Amino acid sequence: MKVEMKVDYYPGETGEFVRVDEEKCSGCGDCAKFCMRNVWVKDGEIYRPKNLKACGECGACWNICDFDAVIFEEPKGGTGVRYEYG
Amino acid sequence: MTKNEYDIIVVGAGCAGPAAAKKAAELGLKTLLLEKSRVPGEKNVSGTCLNMAALVDPDLHYVMKCPVEREIKEMHSFMINEDRTTMFRETPSKGIILLSVRRDHLDAWHTEEAKKAGAEVKLSTTVMDIIEENGAIKGVVTDSGEKYYAKVIIDAAGVNSIVGRKAGLIPKRKGKNMILYVIVNVFLGEEKINERFGDSIYYFLAPNTQYKTWPWAFPKREVVTIGTGGYMDENLFNDDIKSVNDYMQNLLNLKPLKERIEGGRIESWGLHLEFDEAIEKRTRDGLILTGEAGGFVIPFLGEGMVEAFFTGIYAAEAAAKAIEAGDLSAENLEDHYMGRYNDNVFLQGFRYVADLNKKSILSKTDEEIVNIMQNVCIGGGFISNAIHTNWMKGAEDDDMGFVQEAKDFYDFIQPYRQVGSESIEIYQKMRKQK
Repeated sequence: MKVEMKVDYYPGETGEFVRVDEEKCSGCGDCAKFCMRNVWVKDGEIYRPKNLKACGECGACWNICDFDAVIFEEPKGGTGVRYEYG
Repeated sequence: MTKNEYDIIVVGAGCAGPAAAKKAAELGLKTLLLEKSRVPGEKNVSGTCLNMAALVDPDLHYVMKCPVEREIKEMHSFMINEDRTTMFRETPSKGIILLSVRRDHLDAWHTEEAKKAGAEVKLSTTVMDIIEENGAIKGVVTDSGEKYYAKVIIDAAGVNSIVGRKAGLIPKRKGKNMILYVIVNVFLGEEKINERFGDSIYYFLAPNTQYKTWPWAFPKREVVTIGTGGYMDENLFNDDIKSVNDYMQNLLNLKPLKERIEGGRIESWGLHLEFDEAIEKRTRDGLILTGEAGGFVIPFLGEGMVEAFFTGIYAAEAAAKAIEAGDLSAENLEDHYMGRYNDNVFLQGFRYVADLNKKSILSKTDEEIVNIMQNVCIGGGFISNAIHTNWMKGAEDDDMGFVQEAKDFYDFIQPYRQVGSESIEIYQKMRKQK
């Protein structure tokens, strides 16, 4: 059986609950390395959460960042990732 | 009190939140429970089995009435390397050892229980900020900009809780402090789960399927939940392992698991983080951290849900006492809160066992861990291993301190070890009441 990233989402706009602090980002790429959902994409010298719609809301990017450059908040109520059978 | 003023606001309707809200309401406090998802539990990836030994505590008897997926009676552990596969089958205690659950069912049920007790519940409501006045936490701000005030805020919003982070109590964690877990739910249908997994949980230890953690497969009614991952340090990934999905893929390819999930389909996939150290401080003036937000989780033993239930209840009791005494200080809340925590045999016992076992395992190779695990399985599990480890260390170093510690722990853990048929009687009584 092949691992399939089957993830369900509530409808509705989450808001930009993950952002990058451009001043602080060193471009090390740890956020992208530890992100299983390819949310973080290199953009010039820094990384940006360009695929936020695919976010699993685990918070690995925030925890791993040595430069406090990841701003990790919460999606709006009733939006974002939704799990069954958890 | 005006419309948006409460005695207690509980943030998060996972395991700790509803337990706290229910207890607070039962104690006669005006209680508000806020939850970001539409259905409580739908934001939770994991938390698959409730430990029966903990549910025997009178505070948790009512949890036995929850929606149960499967009554787990056995454990199978597979140790696999290139040369051989070793399988241990254990029935650690008489009767049911674990109750497997679905979080989307469990948390929704638990939230209803809190509501029945008198707590007000708001779903689809995310807490975005805290309100501080003169160093005390006075309230929260939700995603709609609404402000809610309370004498005590109970944070039950999980490992990355925004409340605990804004209050400066939850730090960033990685390395040996945080585990990144990937979880898949494989749908097989009830009949196949009965045939292939039955009422047993499965552990697998094999190279390249984990990084210092225990891959597992826990059967529910019609799906089996499978999890693996590793500590978030520089060795989590290497040339062969580019992501935690690679560990999962290798795990799913292990023969004993592969044949059991044959013909199934992945129904859902998720990620979660597990914090693996005690948090330094769990209270501030007007604030108590519970469950994973408070670092009350033992990844090594897969314990988190019952810790959350206990700490939720203890937080509500501590808040009630503090409100009654008119002293909402961090110190007063902490005294009542941790006082109850420190008296709990289950929580203390498991913390001790996990710390001792983890220390030895983090420093060993996979191969050495397989040997340890064989001793653990033959020698009566992690509790015995912890006692044995200290006892032997004392004997080898000629240090009676270790021997005494082992003996003290042996005496301390007796109420837990004696859990047997009594738990089944309580369980049957609670299911009848359901």
